Amino acid sequence: MGELELRVALRGQRSVATYQYHRGALRVLRPHYLDDSGQVCYVVVNPGGAYLGADLFVIDVEVGEGADLLLTTQSATKIYRTPGSFAEQRMVVRLGEAARLEFMPDQLIAYREASYRQRTSVTLRPSSSLVMAEVVTPGWSPDGSAFQYREVRLRNEIRVESDGGTHLLALDNLLIRPPLHDVTGLGFMEGHSHLGSLVVVDARVDQALADDLHGLTAGREALTGISLARPVAGTSGLVLRSLSNSTDELNRLLRSCTDFLRSRWYGQGPLDLRKH
Amino acid sequence: MSGYQLALQQLTDSALPTGAFAHSLGFETYVDAGVVADEASFGVWLGAFVSQQLTYSDGLAIRFLYEGADVGELDSLLSASLLPRQVREASVKMGLRLLEIGAEVFPSPALGLYRDLVGDGRAAGHQPLAFAVVARSLDVPLQEALAAYLFATVTSLTQNAVRAIPLGQNAGQRVLRAAHDDVAAAIDTIAHLTPDDLGAVSPGLEISQMRHERQRARMFMS
Repeated sequence: MGELELRVALRGQRSVATYQYHRGALRVLRPHYLDDSGQVCYVVVNPGGAYLGADLFVIDVEVGEGADLLLTTQSATKIYRTPGSFAEQRMVVRLGEAARLEFMPDQLIAYREASYRQRTSVTLRPSSSLVMAEVVTPGWSPDGSAFQYREVRLRNEIRVESDGGTHLLALDNLLIRPPLHDVTGLGFMEGHSHLGSLVVVDARVDQALADDLHGLTAGREALTGISLARPVAGTSGLVLRSLSNSTDELNRLLRSCTDFLRSRWYGQGPLDLRKH
Repeated sequence: MSGYQLALQQLTDSALPTGAFAHSLGFETYVDAGVVADEASFGVWLGAFVSQQLTYSDGLAIRFLYEGADVGELDSLLSASLLPRQVREASVKMGLRLLEIGAEVFPSPALGLYRDLVGDGRAAGHQPLAFAVVARSLDVPLQEALAAYLFATVTSLTQNAVRAIPLGQNAGQRVLRAAHDDVAAAIDTIAHLTPDDLGAVSPGLEISQMRHERQRARMFMS
């Protein structure tokens, strides 16, 4: 079990935490600044090392007006056997006016007989900027085969809050249940074992940007699709989905896209986490 | 004969002018890649499509509407969860036609309400919801409405595959007969899903629907 709360606000030129709370097996390392943009970087640590059956992890993040947070993890999130139950992570994110969150966790590894549900609920303003990347990989099982986990559900709900009310922009609801179907096959994983996903919500998202990002994915050993969400209240989103047989390949693919956005929108260099 | 029988046949006839002939809902991407090339491989795609997309999106939305969920709320959930743009646009394009046809031949207060929401820009007008509103107003029981909707979708997709792959007409009929089991299984699954399941997708189908946007030679709009 673990609980983490983090609020970030803009103080002068820099983003800083104004409130932090943690309980149980979740905490953050001391913040650092990777460049001179003012973006603060927090690294989430799970000292227990893994999620087990009936584990519940709750993460609450607020990025205030104009503030800029890079949130990542210290290492992969590992889901072990969850007999008769499931491990769950619930994350709630609120982004203020012109606030930015770049959420770049390490990959999720689901081991044999693991069931995992992850629900991320983001509420943002039309002027906010959100980038979330995710990689799901199967854990290695004793007989050397992949896809021994029971179920992985990843649900992202993104709502836009404006003067006209709050409206759902994207409901990104992925469900992978290996034992029920021929999950490796046509329509499911298309012969691949690893899944990468990228969600971008920003008023600057348009078809030309989707085309640029698609161009960056060409030449990777991955099957990738990218499409625009419906626009809501003056902002827009896109989702990129990619299948591959390699975590590194997916990380390179997603990173090339997020680095492109860092450079184009913020003049920042490529992300170098150095894992403090 | 039950009072709704002919109405249901009219609504699910493949000649109903909703434009279903123009949509592959992602299978054309597999045809282009050479993965779907014959009766057997199209059947595999169709099975995946019925057990995933038609079950978790269209079918579940129909069930929730029958159970009294707000049509505007369901419409917004579909617009947000159909992430591949062409599939979202296909659902709305065919949905708007169905709303129009429904208003001509099966008008009802519930249909008027959904059309008003669409007219005001508060809803997009999705095909499964337009169908469910009309079917419910005609007192079609849920199980029959689901079977009719799912099989009508399967039929138009198969007719499209017969033209596109191409398959023989008899092969198309064998695919349809084999899909009976998929549709029956889907109806069973839909009964047991929860609100969290609405719009859940498997990555492969979704990626192929997204990739269709970038395919060079296309017979279909999705």
